[in-house]
Amino acid sequence: MECKREIAAADKQEKIIITCDKVSKEFSINDKSTDTFKVIENISLEVHENEFLVLFGPGQCGKTTMLNIIAGLDSPTTGKVFESGKLIEGPGPSRGVVYQTIALFPWLTVMGNVEFGPKARGFAQKDYRQKARYFIDLVGLSGFENTFPVRLSGGMKQRVGIARAYCNDPLVLLMDEPFGHLDAQTRYMMQEELGKIWQKEKRTVIFVTNNIEEAIYLADRIVLLDDCPTKIKEEYKIDLPRPRSLIDPEFLKIRKEISQAMDIDI
Amino acid sequence: MKVIRKLNNEKLENIVWGIISFTAIIIFWQIIVTLIKAENFPPPTKVFSEFLKDFISPIGKYTLLGHIGWSLSRVLVGYCAAAVLGISIGLFMGWSKFFRALFKPVFDLLRPIPPIAWIPLSILWFGIGEKPKYFLIFIGAFTAFTLNAYLGAVKVDKQLIGAAKMLGATDKQVFRKVVLPSTVPQIFSGFQVALSNAWMAVLGAEMIRSSEGAGWIIIMGMESGNTPQMIVGMISIGITGFILATSMRVLERRLVAWNVRGK
Repeated sequence: MECKREIAAADKQEKIIITCDKVSKEFSINDKSTDTFKVIENISLEVHENEFLVLFGPGQCGKTTMLNIIAGLDSPTTGKVFESGKLIEGPGPSRGVVYQTIALFPWLTVMGNVEFGPKARGFAQKDYRQKARYFIDLVGLSGFENTFPVRLSGGMKQRVGIARAYCNDPLVLLMDEPFGHLDAQTRYMMQEELGKIWQKEKRTVIFVTNNIEEAIYLADRIVLLDDCPTKIKEEYKIDLPRPRSLIDPEFLKIRKEISQAMDIDI
Repeated sequence: MKVIRKLNNEKLENIVWGIISFTAIIIFWQIIVTLIKAENFPPPTKVFSEFLKDFISPIGKYTLLGHIGWSLSRVLVGYCAAAVLGISIGLFMGWSKFFRALFKPVFDLLRPIPPIAWIPLSILWFGIGEKPKYFLIFIGAFTAFTLNAYLGAVKVDKQLIGAAKMLGATDKQVFRKVVLPSTVPQIFSGFQVALSNAWMAVLGAEMIRSSEGAGWIIIMGMESGNTPQMIVGMISIGITGFILATSMRVLERRLVAWNVRGK
């Protein structure tokens, strides 16, 4: 299953999957007022096939909104977002989301959650059952197929979230601070795990985080965002070999460079 | 032996406390009766012997179990009708803005009217047979079903709906695979509340006009000056209600296993 994609990936490295064209988003201050405030300002970016792109920035302002716009769950005030050249107008299975709040269906088992997408889309069970098993195994949850989410730890739940997104075979994976709710130790472990999973099953990923270590550890490319309104400040290509080390001098050098560019004022 | 070992300490403790509290009440009851010596306040022994007697020799047309059976069968009819209608209306009210705008105000106005207030109208409309009793039970259970199904449908996690849509679910599938299952726990608490409401309503109905049922036992006890019989009626109502509620909880724990954090 995994080989098919990787061979195809080699010669199509430059294929553009997601294009954001001058995206801005405004919200009204409250229901009565026509006054608005800008959360996203003029973001244009391209995401290439099998690229791990990290949207990194401080604060809570517009990163999740940006990801929701790409997902189709929210719409931009101005600007457009395209998926493989096609305008995104609503939610759809070609973009898989991994949520910060994890958002598993609590009444479904691990297996039920992972195969939710292909099942809802009407594929034959013999096709997706095997695939679901493969991804459950890939995220390290073999043996938990029939367990309900309430019995799993936070880290395990998010593994299910990742497997669920993968199993639906999306063109791009959107990860919205997926490890934001985990404790520090589990977070490191999950970063490492996601790095491994992604190496084995390369996909196009847009990953949102406010954690600089996480960004450098995972990214092919980091888009540094300014807060309120969210806009692009800088871009960094991260060419470090994988798996990366958090204390590698090269790693620390990049970390310092990005930290300085952030000139954190919060 | 096996059963006892299965019970954990906490459960065992609760049972012991329950026995202590019942014993205390009976002793207290006996003391009061001895002190007051009133004719219409029978001692627990008299009530207990009446209770045993009523299992074998009929009061009116039926024995005690027969009367409870009558009450239960009435509850069953009204309760099921209320479940079907109440849950559907509640779900639609939660799911569709249009339906909510149309039904919610009427519902909010009807909700505070207790079932007993409907008794005169129910007799006027349905006469004196079984129908007015079904109607009263229906009224008693309906609001609980509707309200809980509505609350369940409104409370559905928007992010789960988004997640289902992102995975490719259609609107119909979102309703069936996300909205419905996530309302189940709330609907179950509706089943609980509706059950006790229905049980109360049937007694009200039977005490007004009937010739059988648990409520009738009490009224007959009063009319024939048989106080122990009245208390037997009350106790059997309590026990039946308790059994119904407990079995409902057991059923819920089975069906909504995903919502219960097990040991």
